[in-house]
Amino acid sequence: MTGGAAPEYARLFVEGLKEADVEVVTALPESLLASVYRLCAADNAIRYIQVSNEADMPGICAGTYLAGKRAMMIMENSGIRQCCEPVARLAFQHALPMVMAMSYRGEWGEQNWWGHNHAQTMAPILDALRIPHRFVTEPDEIKPAIKRAFKHADGSNWPVALVFSGNCVELPAYAKD
Amino acid sequence: MQRIDAFRAIAPSIAAEDLVTTSIGATWDDWWNLKPDADNTFFTGVLGSVTSTALGLAVSLPHRRIVAFESDGSMLMNTGILCTLGAERPPNLTVLVFDNGIYENIGGPPTLTSKNTDLARMAEGAGCLNCATVDRPDALAERFSTMLDDGEMGYLVAKIEPGKHPWEWKDRKPTDGIEDKYRFLRYVERLEGVVIHPGAPQN
Repeated sequence: MTGGAAPEYARLFVEGLKEADVEVVTALPESLLASVYRLCAADNAIRYIQVSNEADMPGICAGTYLAGKRAMMIMENSGIRQCCEPVARLAFQHALPMVMAMSYRGEWGEQNWWGHNHAQTMAPILDALRIPHRFVTEPDEIKPAIKRAFKHADGSNWPVALVFSGNCVELPAYAKD
Repeated sequence: MQRIDAFRAIAPSIAAEDLVTTSIGATWDDWWNLKPDADNTFFTGVLGSVTSTALGLAVSLPHRRIVAFESDGSMLMNTGILCTLGAERPPNLTVLVFDNGIYENIGGPPTLTSKNTDLARMAEGAGCLNCATVDRPDALAERFSTMLDDGEMGYLVAKIEPGKHPWEWKDRKPTDGIEDKYRFLRYVERLEGVVIHPGAPQN
């Protein structure tokens, strides 16, 4: 299912992946980055590995890195709770770089009662794991953010996180106002 | 068949050019002593991520044989990876699970494979190919060797008896997780002719 033309943010996201030489994307699809998952799955230049639990993804990224290739894991911010243990061990025990992208469920104005805990726990968990994170809110920030995320991860031998929000997700929170 | 017997049965099938991930525990010392004379093994210190790390290697290096040495404890920690494997079916990946039914390194409480869980049947149900269980060294050696070269993924469970080989302290794996990473990473760089971790930025 193509679902029509992709929104600008998703197109720039996938272009940014390719410009950063990302060959493997592993993801657990959710609604806020829906077009990104759809484009990655349909792109022959990207090996797209869909998982059913975010805990699969850090190992996939680590193996890809150790093979000399680049991978990105993409998920909702709730996923950091699921993959916290393998991320912690791969980082603290092996000093492995990793680039994760997540949508910011629980944005200011979130109307879903179940979405607030995702925002409330995301930053404390990332901080506990000593993972630096940057918000990406405007489309023109996407490509440089992805490129610099890989430089930062490789240079620090540590995971980094990009948090997509504002005009870089499927349905900005303000659109519901 | 104890773990050391199983390792001795399959070790001749692994070449230095193959890449291996291993589960944590007694597996480390056995394989450290029996592996090829090369840094072809990433001693993965993460229960539940041994197969996923091997999957990342397998999809990134499709021309190379990739092996994951799993344990029942590690597999049970993240059985969801079976579904991912069943969807991807990487043809160059062989998973070998050493299943002793206990958490041996912490004194031996049972894992759930000692109850009603059958990992090979779970893998088959998840869509994995060539799923089998063996309990004898000769059968293990034959099935494992076939799986390495049949051009399809393989998922082999070796039922083993409890018991750790009494390696002397000097023969135990001496490296930690950071050294393990660099040894493996530099080996892959030489093997594949690539630069994974340069000492300085290129630009």
